Amino acid sequence: MKSTRTELSRRDFLKTTAVAGAGLTLSFTIPGAGAREASAAAAFEPNATLTITPDGIITVHITKAEMGQGVGTALAQIVAEELEADWKDVRIDYPMNDPKYGLMLTGGSWSVNWTFDSLSRAGAGARMLLTEAAAKQMNVAVADCVAEDGRIRHLPTGRSMPYGEIVAKVPITRTLSEEDLKKIELKKPSQYRIIGKWIPRLDIPEKVTGKAKFGIDTFLPGMVYAKVAYPPTREGGKHTAVDDTGARKVKGWIQTVVTDDVVAVVADTYDNAVRARDALRVSWDPGPNAGVSTASIFEMYAKKAKEDLTAPSWVEQGDVKAGLAQAAKTHEATFTTDYVAHMQMEPMNCVVRLDGGAYDIYTGSQFQTMAVGALSKKLGVDPSKIRIHQHYLGGGFGRRLEPDIMLETALIAREVKRPVKLIRSREEDLRRDYYRSATLQVLRGGLSADGKVIAWENTLVAAYPGERYGGLDDKGRDQFALNGSDHVYEIPNQFVRAVRAETGMSVGYVRAVAPNYTFFAVETFIDELAHLAKADPVQFRLAMLGGAPRLARVLKLAADRAGWDSPLPPNVGRGVACVTAQERKSPTWTASVVETQVDPASGAVKVRKIVCAVDCGIVVNPDGARSQIEGSLLFGLSNALKERGTVKNGALEQSNFHDYQVLRMSDVPEVEVHVVPSTEYPTGLGEPGTTTILPALSNAIFAATGARVRSAPLTAERVLTAIQQKA
Amino acid sequence: MAQLLINGKTFMVDADPATPLLWVIRERLQLTGTKFGCGIAQCGACTVHLDGAAVRSCQTTLAQAAGKKITTIEGLHPKGEHPLQRAWIAEQVPQCGYCQSGQIMQAAALLAKSPNPTDEEIVAAMSGNICRCATYLRIKRAIKRAARGV
Repeated sequence: MKSTRTELSRRDFLKTTAVAGAGLTLSFTIPGAGAREASAAAAFEPNATLTITPDGIITVHITKAEMGQGVGTALAQIVAEELEADWKDVRIDYPMNDPKYGLMLTGGSWSVNWTFDSLSRAGAGARMLLTEAAAKQMNVAVADCVAEDGRIRHLPTGRSMPYGEIVAKVPITRTLSEEDLKKIELKKPSQYRIIGKWIPRLDIPEKVTGKAKFGIDTFLPGMVYAKVAYPPTREGGKHTAVDDTGARKVKGWIQTVVTDDVVAVVADTYDNAVRARDALRVSWDPGPNAGVSTASIFEMYAKKAKEDLTAPSWVEQGDVKAGLAQAAKTHEATFTTDYVAHMQMEPMNCVVRLDGGAYDIYTGSQFQTMAVGALSKKLGVDPSKIRIHQHYLGGGFGRRLEPDIMLETALIAREVKRPVKLIRSREEDLRRDYYRSATLQVLRGGLSADGKVIAWENTLVAAYPGERYGGLDDKGRDQFALNGSDHVYEIPNQFVRAVRAETGMSVGYVRAVAPNYTFFAVETFIDELAHLAKADPVQFRLAMLGGAPRLARVLKLAADRAGWDSPLPPNVGRGVACVTAQERKSPTWTASVVETQVDPASGAVKVRKIVCAVDCGIVVNPDGARSQIEGSLLFGLSNALKERGTVKNGALEQSNFHDYQVLRMSDVPEVEVHVVPSTEYPTGLGEPGTTTILPALSNAIFAATGARVRSAPLTAERVLTAIQQKA
Repeated sequence: MAQLLINGKTFMVDADPATPLLWVIRERLQLTGTKFGCGIAQCGACTVHLDGAAVRSCQTTLAQAAGKKITTIEGLHPKGEHPLQRAWIAEQVPQCGYCQSGQIMQAAALLAKSPNPTDEEIVAAMSGNICRCATYLRIKRAIKRAARGV
C-alpha cells in the first residue's frame, strides 16, 4: 500500500512539473475591489490565473465551484474574450486551494459579478505580453501587431505566430503590475466575439456519460468507510456513553472512534460500516433544545416581534409613526415561512487522507477559504497542511459553503490513520442540514387619501447564519438575513426592524437566502396595499419605481408577455412580483408573473405558467443564463408549493424525499424567460428568479380565490383554510 | 460469492446477499456513474437497467440482481453516444449533473418501450426522478428530440 501511495504522489508531481516547466504560467494578482466590484456586497480580491502550453492549449483555472451554474465555461469566456483566444483551444480546471487564488468562495450569485473585470484584465494582460513577445520574435513593432483567434498577426506583412508557438519560442519575463492591468482599455460590448455567444458548456459532455467526478466518486488506496452516530437534536446534543460490543461483531468492523466531537465506526465497506454503526449503543444528553418545536419557535418569534423594541433598524427613512398617523387607511399583516432544506442531490460526503502531517481532502466545496481556516484551527495544523482537492458538486445551493463534513471526516481520519470515506445517508444529510431560517414578519402600511403608500413598517424576525461566518455588523445585524427588506419602492416613511431570534436549529444559506422570505412579505404586502387602494397591482408598483427604471422595465415586460390584462377562466388567477435580488447594491432586476389554478374545494394549487423577465446586464453565456433562470424559477416553485420543514424535539421532523417533497416533472408548468439585452456591468443569475415565485404565486392565489395565504409554503391545507376564512 | 453481469462483463462479488446493488456497483466495483441520492427509491439517481427494465439499484438486492443482465450509464452505449446522450448535450440539459445518469437510464427504458412517447407518458415515466436543479423542461425536450431521432 505504501508503494502505491508513493507512485500516486510521483505521478501527481510529474503532472505538476510538466505543466509548470513547459508552459507559460501567466498569473496576476488582481487589484482589490475596483469601482464596479465595490458595488457588490463586500470587497473580495479574486485572482485570475491561466496557463498556456506550447501546444497552444489555454487552461483557465476556475477557482469557483461548479455546481450546475456552468461557471467554468462563463468565466473562461470572459478570459478568452480579452485574450483573443480561439475558443477551441480553451480548457478549464478546478485547482486545489492556494492563497494565490485569494478568497475561494462560490455563492450569492456573485461569480460573474465579482470577477468580470478582473478576469477580463487577466486575459487582456496575457494578450499584451504575447503581443510583445511575438513582435520581438518577428522583429517588428508591437504597434503593428494585433491579436486574433489565438495568434498574433503582423498587419503590414500578414505574418503571424500562434500563441503556442510564442510560448514555446520566446521567454516571457516581463510581469504586469496591478497598475499596468488597471490601465488596459477593455473591449466594448459591441466588439465581443465570445461573450454573449451561444457556447456549449464544457462540463456537460462528461455529465451525460457518468464520467464526471463528484466528491463521492473518490477512491484512494487503503481507503476505509466511516459512519457517524449523530445526536438526536440538531444542536447541543452530546454523547454520554458508547458501547460498541455489537459493532465489533459486525463483519468488516475495523475501529470505533469516540472523541469529544464525534462518535463513529470504521469498516471495510460502506454497507458494513452502516451495519456496525447501527449496532452501536450510544447514550445521549439531548441538551437544552430537546423541547424545541415549530410551535415553540413561532411563539417565541411572535413574542419577540411584539416585545423586542430595542432591536436595531435595518431601514430608517422619514418618520414612520407620523406616516401611519397621517394615513387615510392603514393595513397590517403577518407573514411566516417554515424551514427550508437544501436537499442537494449528492448527500454530503468527504474523503480525507492524513499524509505526513497534511490533510488531503477530497470533496466539492463552495468555500475553500473558510474550510481551510476551520480545519487548520480544529486540527491544530498550519493552513498550508490543508489541501482541498476540488470536485464537481452534486448540487450546492449553499449547503457546500459549510465545512462540517470535512471536519468530521478529518477528525475520524486522524484517529484511524488510513484514508477515510464518509458518506451521509439522505436522512443524516437532511437532519444535519443548515436550514433556511423559519421567519416571521409583521408589516404595517399606510395609504394617503389618494391611494399612495406613505408609510411602511416591517418587523423581521429570523435566525442569523452570519455569526458562524463572522458576518454580523457592529449593530449585530446580518445582512444576509435581511436583504430584500430594503426594497426600492419610493415610500417617504419607512422603518424595518431587525429582530434576531436563535432557536437551536442551525441555519445557513439556502439558494437566494433572505430574499426568499423578505420579498414574500414585501411583494405580497404591496399587492395587498394595491387592492386596498383599488389599483392595478402592476400600475401600483410602477408608480413607486421612478428610482429603479430597470426594474420598471422588466416588470412591464413580464406583465406584457404574460398578457396581464387578458381574461382568465374561473378559479385561475395571475400574480406578479418584482425584486432586486440578491442585494440592493448589485441587483439582478427580475419580475415574474405566475398564472395558477386553484381548486376551491381542496385548496390544491396547479401552476399553469411562469413568465419571467430579467435584466442582469451583460450576459456572458446566453443559454447558460437561461438554464440558470429556468432552474431558479422552478427551485422557487418547489420552495413555494411543497417544502415545509417542521421541528419536533429539537430536530427536523422530516427525513427524506417522501416527507420532504420537492418539485418533480409532474409539477412543472410552462416557463417563459425574457432576458433584456444590456451592456451594463453584469450581475448574477443563480438565485434572483427563485425569490419572485413565492410572492407572485401567493398573489395569483389571491387573484384566483380572493383569499390571502401569508404562510409559506402555500400548501393546499393553508390555501383551503384561507378560502374558508374569507367565506 | 455472487456473480454479476454488468455491461457485458462478469464480476464476482463477496458481499451479504441483502446488500443493495447500488453500493456494490458504485463503491465496490467503482462504476460511479450510478449515484446515491436517497436510499429509499424516492429520487431515481441510482437507476440502472435490470434485463432492460429501469430499476432503483438502492432497492434491488445483490441476490435479486445476480444472474440478470445489468446495464449502468457506463454501458448504455459503447461510446457514450446513445441518442439520449446526444440529445442531452444538444439541449444542454445537465446543471450539477448528479441526477442525470439516473434520468438518462430512466428515459432510455421509456424509449425502448415507447419510441414516440406523448408528453403524458414522459411525465408519468420521469416523475420518479428528482432533479434538484430542476432541469425538467430540458429533460422533456431532450427525450422528445431523441425520439425524433435528431
